[in-house]
Amino acid sequence: MTSVRALWRRPDVRFLVLFLGILLVAFTTIAFQKVNDAVVNPYTGFVARLSGAVLGLIGEDITVTGCELRSPRFAVTIYNGCNGLITSLIFVSGVLAFPASWRAKAVGVIAGLLAIQALNLVRIVSLYYIGVFLPDYFDESHILIGQSLVILAGVGLWIVWARSAAAASRAAR
Amino acid sequence: MTARADPADHRRFVRRLAIAAVIALVVWVLIRPAIDGAVTSFAQLLIRAYEHPKVTRLVVVDHRAEVRRADLRSDSALPTIALTEIHFNTIVLLALYLALHRPWSRKQIERLVMGWSTLYLSQTLNLLLHVKFLYASAYGAWSLQHYSTVARNVYGFLQYATDLPARFALPFAIWLGFNWDQVMPIVGLMAEPPRDARGRTGKPHRGRTK
Repeated sequence: MTSVRALWRRPDVRFLVLFLGILLVAFTTIAFQKVNDAVVNPYTGFVARLSGAVLGLIGEDITVTGCELRSPRFAVTIYNGCNGLITSLIFVSGVLAFPASWRAKAVGVIAGLLAIQALNLVRIVSLYYIGVFLPDYFDESHILIGQSLVILAGVGLWIVWARSAAAASRAAR
Repeated sequence: MTARADPADHRRFVRRLAIAAVIALVVWVLIRPAIDGAVTSFAQLLIRAYEHPKVTRLVVVDHRAEVRRADLRSDSALPTIALTEIHFNTIVLLALYLALHRPWSRKQIERLVMGWSTLYLSQTLNLLLHVKFLYASAYGAWSLQHYSTVARNVYGFLQYATDLPARFALPFAIWLGFNWDQVMPIVGLMAEPPRDARGRTGKPHRGRTK
């Protein structure tokens, strides 16, 4: 028992246990159909409308129906996995599990989510244009440029935030 | 190299990560046919291990796994599963490994082999569950006859779990797990030095010097 307590007192071990626990709870929660219908789908629709608005600003004749963006030149549907939600959940789990003040966590969550969503927005807009001009490369780009880069950006953001949060905690002590 | 945190480590890591992503992408593109084959053949082996008679064949066609069954009519439509989506996370794992300090050292290569093998197993499991869920839910009356509602739900949930969550989170979790002593100092978290029977910490714990 003592060894378990000693392990739990170690910040790195506590971080890992909390991180995996929060991640498990988050992924299980969004797996439920009701949560999917009430949260994930409307959120994906919001991402689609936002992307449509940005493409409209650039001058594209875009119609958004649910999660589908359609123009006379190309149509693309945003699914769960392309909405940045999974990467956001991984990032938020990492932030919440990290030993930092609640204020630092709140800043991390808000700034991180905004950054990930901004990046995802850039990704969707770029994919739309890849679909228009290089349709043969759309599938590859969707996976390669999109998903891999968004995950890596999420990890990079977390590293930068965690480092600054840890430094702030040490300074406060 | 020691486990002591270098104040600049995280900046260096983020800089390396950008270059590492490009290298990982190139490596993945070059070896993609080999990964397609490795994931598909192992998934087929596992499926057939519990199949009587052994009728499933997974054939790689244009980076997709065609699911063929010997007991279906030859003119039946062949369902396919995108292999690229199943193993693209290799890029993420490779990039994270390459962004760490001394990625070509023996210790890091060993860790990469262990991490990559773990990821490969998860990708195989993901493909296997795709096929099983397909059998359980997409073949109409045949699915209803051979798979119960519970089986459909179990395969559905496991497919979901190994799909988006595992595909996105596993490279990070594997990388973190196998490179604990390198990643924790980068983020400013250090493991406490080992304590003796009296609870004394003794000398600061240092990583292996290479």
